[in-house]
Amino acid sequence: MALLDFQTSLAQLVRVSNAVDVPPGVLLTPRERRYLSDLPGNSAFCFTVRVQRSWCAGRAAKAAYLTLSILPSEQRDRLLEEWIGSGGGTHSFVGAESEAFLDFIARRLSDPSHELTICRMELAALRSSEGSLRFERPELSRMDRTDCVLRRGRSAGVVHFYAEPEKVLNALLKREPFPAISSDVTTLIFGPGLDRLYVRASSLDVALYERLRSPAATADLFAEGFTRETSERLLEGGVLEYAK
Amino acid sequence: MSGGGAKFKAAVPRLGIGLPYFASLPAEFYQCGAVDFVEITPEILCRQRPAGNAIELEIVPQHMERAKSVCAGLPVVVHGVELSIGSAHGWNQAYLEMLDTFQKVWPFVWHSEHLGFQTFRGSDGCTQEVGVPLPLPPTNEAADLVARRSAEILERYGVPFLLENPAYYLPDPPSDPEVGDDIGLMRKILQRSGSLQLLDLHNVYCNAINHRFDPFAAVDRMPLDAVAEIHIAGGSWDGGFWMDAHDGRVPEPVWELLEYTLPRCPSVGGIVFEMLDEHVSRLGADGIHQELTRARKVWMSHGRGDAYGATRFSDVAGAVSACI
Repeated sequence: MALLDFQTSLAQLVRVSNAVDVPPGVLLTPRERRYLSDLPGNSAFCFTVRVQRSWCAGRAAKAAYLTLSILPSEQRDRLLEEWIGSGGGTHSFVGAESEAFLDFIARRLSDPSHELTICRMELAALRSSEGSLRFERPELSRMDRTDCVLRRGRSAGVVHFYAEPEKVLNALLKREPFPAISSDVTTLIFGPGLDRLYVRASSLDVALYERLRSPAATADLFAEGFTRETSERLLEGGVLEYAK
Repeated sequence: MSGGGAKFKAAVPRLGIGLPYFASLPAEFYQCGAVDFVEITPEILCRQRPAGNAIELEIVPQHMERAKSVCAGLPVVVHGVELSIGSAHGWNQAYLEMLDTFQKVWPFVWHSEHLGFQTFRGSDGCTQEVGVPLPLPPTNEAADLVARRSAEILERYGVPFLLENPAYYLPDPPSDPEVGDDIGLMRKILQRSGSLQLLDLHNVYCNAINHRFDPFAAVDRMPLDAVAEIHIAGGSWDGGFWMDAHDGRVPEPVWELLEYTLPRCPSVGGIVFEMLDEHVSRLGADGIHQELTRARKVWMSHGRGDAYGATRFSDVAGAVSACI
């Protein structure tokens, strides 16, 4: 018996819940092949699959708790089902599961919408909170070096609110209807070194963050009109970081 | 059993009655005499983060500090879930590296893992998680693999290493005749590695119901002289199967199994009442205390009264009622 091939086939079978084609070259004995091909019709196998789905759904629900809590139950169930069906929910660690599942949900929500805002906020808060555990304030003097390059912080994010953030968050807390979508956008910026992990962003903050979709030299940024003060403040908050 | 096994069996102290570390229980519960030792799953104190192309398990200092403060002065044993010791493509190296750090800051009396696998190699060659632990086929290849890894773990940590018999729902997988079944597999691994067994009686009960066999006869076939720890737990019916759900009190037949098994296990160091953290509030501190008290009565009635915590037992009732 080749344990490796048997485990791979069995694991894939449990994850997809019906017959999988065992590719040629896989070292399974006829008895093992028969065992695996008979499993989908077996009640104990079906129960194992149900347990797996239930554990995955539990992990995923915990991983995107806030966002799922504001969605209609039908939409929530559909997202969970689609996520689990695509192989999601298997991460044992909530952080890894959250990153992937919230990103998956974000791609399926209307833009703009308060639901998408909450989803992005949950992800940004998670990243900055995780990042804060090992965040060290950077040496600002490195900005003076001619080869200094900045990039977006790996634990940072921006979240656009299409109403006053307080009103959106109050509605969330009190389970009340969200305010109407407004054309006035307020942006919160998240970073592991910021007080409370977020701050209301100025237009300059947002412009610099947007500019750094790819890393850029400070000399170029200053030449484009971005200020040292803004760069320093965002560096200290972990919103930006040195690229090398 | 190998010489290493005899050495580690002799190193199993009688700790008494244990409880997993639950962040949701008041710290006082662990300090009022009902608990002689604490079983920690170190992964719950960790977070996962990328480290280059690999994944690192990082102990979160605040979680560790709280756990150490809650368990202050109590012996600790480790009960891991993330190693995937039976995965043929490779085990979880990040777990072992995390455990190296854990042992340096918080030494443990023994270390246990589940006999099974929960990761496999995906078609892209990367490790993927199944999402649920699966049992190993009872074959020589599986026995050799886990025995070799168990021996490595014994060497690495220098404390007894225990493998837990799993609950499983899948029907009997193809086996090698000289190994036979899950009990034969456990026996072969222990013989070849010198590791010991964590005998989970609720898992035996669960399998006995779902696969229709006599749990007492199954216990009789087990390598009972190598059992170093016993788990008891609760479960529930779901879709016609008895689930190893860890969601409440220990069923009466499991208590009967404990009464039957304990006197047949000369080297056992402790009994742990297992539960999932999310069910703790439902059973409550009072309910948990009742299960621990009953386990202690069984423990003491079989002459294990010289346990670590037994001298404090007379004080337990008053102390616990004061703190819950």
